[in-house]
Amino acid sequence: MSGNILDARNLNKVVPSAEGELSILADLSLQLAKGDSLAIVGTSGSGKSTLLGLLAGLDLPSSGEVHLAGHALAALDEDQRARVRAEHVGFVFQSFQLLDSLNALENVMLPLELDGRRDARERATELLGRVGLGERLTHYPRQLSGGEQQRVALARAFAAEPDVLFADEPTGNLDTHTGAHVTELLFELNRERGTTLVLVTHDERLAKRCHRMIRLEGGRQIAAETAE
Amino acid sequence: MMRMPKARLFALAYRQLLRDARAGELRVLFFALVVAVAASTAIGYFGARLNDAMLLRASEFLGADMVLSGSAPASPEQIDDGKQLGLDHAQVVEFSSVIATDQDLQLASVKAASSSYPLRGTLRSAAQPYEAEQPGPGPAPGEAWAEARLFAALDLQIGDSIEVGSKLLRLTRVLTYEPDRVGDFYSLTPRVLMHLDDLAATGVVQPGSRVRYRELWRGETATLTAYQQSIQAGLQAHQRIETANDSNRQIGGALGRAERYLNLASLAAILLAGVAVALSAARFAARRFDASALLRCLGLSRHDTLLLYTLQLAMLGLLASLAGALLGWAAQHGLFFLLRDLLAQEIPPGGVWPAAAGIATGLVALTGFALPPLAALGRVPPLRVLRRDMLPVPPSAWLVYGTAIFALGLIMWRLSLDLKITLALLGGGLLATLLLGGLLLLGLKGMRRLLAGASLSWRLGLGQLLRHPLAAAGQALAFGLILLAMALIALLRGELLDTWQDQLPDDAPNHFVLNVLPAEKDAFAERIAALSSHAAPLYPVVPGRLISINGEPVRQLVSKESQGERAIRRDLSLTWAADLPKDNHLVAGQWWTEQEATDVPGVSVEAELAESLQLKLGDRLSFTIGGLTREASVTSLREVNWDSFQPNFYMIFEPDTLEGMPATYMTSFHLPPGKERELVELARAFPSVTLLQVEALLAQLRSILAQVSLAVEYVLLFVLAAGLAVLFAGLQATLDERIRQGALLRALGAERRLLLRARRAEFGLLGAASGLLAALGCELVSALLYHYAFDLRWQPHPWLLVLPLIGALLVGGAGLIGTRRALNASPLTVLRES
Repeated sequence: MSGNILDARNLNKVVPSAEGELSILADLSLQLAKGDSLAIVGTSGSGKSTLLGLLAGLDLPSSGEVHLAGHALAALDEDQRARVRAEHVGFVFQSFQLLDSLNALENVMLPLELDGRRDARERATELLGRVGLGERLTHYPRQLSGGEQQRVALARAFAAEPDVLFADEPTGNLDTHTGAHVTELLFELNRERGTTLVLVTHDERLAKRCHRMIRLEGGRQIAAETAE
Repeated sequence: MMRMPKARLFALAYRQLLRDARAGELRVLFFALVVAVAASTAIGYFGARLNDAMLLRASEFLGADMVLSGSAPASPEQIDDGKQLGLDHAQVVEFSSVIATDQDLQLASVKAASSSYPLRGTLRSAAQPYEAEQPGPGPAPGEAWAEARLFAALDLQIGDSIEVGSKLLRLTRVLTYEPDRVGDFYSLTPRVLMHLDDLAATGVVQPGSRVRYRELWRGETATLTAYQQSIQAGLQAHQRIETANDSNRQIGGALGRAERYLNLASLAAILLAGVAVALSAARFAARRFDASALLRCLGLSRHDTLLLYTLQLAMLGLLASLAGALLGWAAQHGLFFLLRDLLAQEIPPGGVWPAAAGIATGLVALTGFALPPLAALGRVPPLRVLRRDMLPVPPSAWLVYGTAIFALGLIMWRLSLDLKITLALLGGGLLATLLLGGLLLLGLKGMRRLLAGASLSWRLGLGQLLRHPLAAAGQALAFGLILLAMALIALLRGELLDTWQDQLPDDAPNHFVLNVLPAEKDAFAERIAALSSHAAPLYPVVPGRLISINGEPVRQLVSKESQGERAIRRDLSLTWAADLPKDNHLVAGQWWTEQEATDVPGVSVEAELAESLQLKLGDRLSFTIGGLTREASVTSLREVNWDSFQPNFYMIFEPDTLEGMPATYMTSFHLPPGKERELVELARAFPSVTLLQVEALLAQLRSILAQVSLAVEYVLLFVLAAGLAVLFAGLQATLDERIRQGALLRALGAERRLLLRARRAEFGLLGAASGLLAALGCELVSALLYHYAFDLRWQPHPWLLVLPLIGALLVGGAGLIGTRRALNASPLTVLRES
């Protein structure tokens, strides 16, 4: 077992289809050290989101293994994987994925409460202040703009101080200006907290801000780059 | 803007329907509609067929489907008309005659019947007095049957001959049961049954003698109606038409209540299904916002977009309605199969009307409840393809509620519920909704404070409810309505059964006694007391006729064919009593003990008759009694329970005011089984007394009530099934959102247990709140219904307080089952949605 926070070896994902079995991810391996950042790029349908799902333990590979923060995910059941996620993982999604029935503060408190933290309210308040929404704590998602919603999502992602942050097209639903602002925040927070970042994007500029980048096509890795 | 040819639009709608169906998109709506139509059809069929069966029973009491009776023979045209229409015919002539044997004489009531008599029901007779009876055709010419008490009174044996007028007839059997011998308790002497062919030879029936001619008819309802219409105009003053519908008060009462109950149950099932259709149609519409925006974007006009989805929904509605009607039809067949032992007779198949009505009900419900959400589809802005947050302008509240209420009104009209029930239901429902909805809203807002300190699972579960109190209150009201409808139906069922049970307890009087002479009264009372522990008091009876009200001749005051008209046409049995009889309730005025004596005697009048004669307290009534005129003043009005098998009277005088009038006494009592011998001895000891067995009538009534009770129980099952189906449909409507939430929470690291606890909290609380609303609403609506529709006395029902618990269990359980997909949602869904 290496000292990597994320270690994936020989991942394969096969799904049944009308024409028989379809391979959507083939023979993929990667390792990430703590504080590292990785961009996964590729066209639509290249297997980016599938890979992200496998790395985050949202899904299990057909073969191969993923170790996340020292846990072999394939050996865990769904509830045990949920616990691993609660302790070690944060998410940012393209469509924000805030709970409509909770206000901004409560959305950010959610992962802290899942982790059983007593200081949830204080920490969530502080983080929302950090992303510039200190005045909007009791607003509901419906009352916030897209950029604001994504900032709440960022605060939520960092709230439980995850070891790894998975971001799926975090600026995909935002205009250039707002997207740039959210990107800044994402990388700032990442730096401040020493979080490992796995970023799925087709935005090359965004990808270039990561330490490393892998390019997928048809479920296979066709290139790997490391920032100078 | 592109206008598509209608045929292409139709084809497109059809293709989309197929695609949506294949994708499982329409399951919920289809299911809700099938349930609605199936429940409505099954109850419709069940009600209609049972009603027919009960009408058949009621026909038995007439011995036919329709009877034309009169004091002179019917005209040849009247008879020919019926025969030409293909109706079956039988003829009966009834008269009183002295029956003579070598030693003795006895006044008897003779019935001469043609061979085809009776057309409904069967005659029953025994080989010897008090032996087991057998069904079979009546006496042949030259023969006669007599009741056991005639055998006792004249000391006759089977095989002896009796003289009826100048004709000698041989007694061949003991008559035990005639289907049509009911209701005429007061004019009965022992019955002799003979063949109509022997009538002329008796020479008894001469012009001017008191004879009742009855023409019995049997056939299809439509033919009977046609016949009735054809002879109605030429009806003589002495002639009357009776049909099964008005043949008998006791059955009429039971039938009426059963029919109202069944209709009410249909309404409950349809209301429930309406809620299900509304919920799933709203989901159908919401899920088509994107597609509809895209179609608008691609150039389809607003009108065509709307038409496209309307067509799609109409096709779905038609298909689902057909399937539902078929299912409902099959369900009622299963039901009648289960009841086959009880309902021994052939049950009419019920025709296609209930199925057609069920389909119409489904389509009306679909239109009423689905149109408003569908209308929103036409208003989806095309810009939604770019900005998904753009929602159509919601339809105005009056459109939403207006169409739903209009649809409900149509359905109620179809069920021909009377105005009082409908208003009591709608008014009560509306009042309950406003009152309870308001309370609930306040309660939910109050809970907000408690939320801050609650655990995460409670906060997640209640979060949804409390963030949108209006929606939560609406949901609780919807579930509450379901529970209310089910509780109300259960409540009424129990109440109706109890009422019927009270009406005909096991020891209900099965014998009436008439013509007890004043000199024999005390001795007779002693004998009865020894024979039965359940005897009514002996009431004096004085025949008298009402001739004027406040000095005006009564004939000018009443309308033809009214109850009042029938009451004044013949002698009334007048009585006097110191105490208000059991089962009578004063509705106006006071009983003697509570008022001062006046110059004219007081009389207490039965309330319905008083209404028909437009009598008020203080009105002066004149009677002729035994050739004398007596005045009386109306001092009270009474409600009488005619179903009670107790002696009942239209007029009860103050005691001692009919002194000196020729009175006989009457009573009723319960003869325990196995005491038939003692009854014969009683008849011998008091030869002038008329003893009338009503055991057969009682048995017939009990069997009808048993049928109705079973029907009532099965209908309750239908309503329950409809309610549960609605519950699931309602949950399905919020399933998408729940699956998304579940997946997100899982992705963020929530364990299954937490989600389960949150759901349990949410649905448990929702169910408990619904149950509480249902309990309160049920009391409110039942109080109104009892008062206005069912003539039942209302009392609080403390057991309704278990409804919150039932609600919590039912909604909680169904909620967990209905949303288990949300619990098991793969967290990967959140990525796919991105």
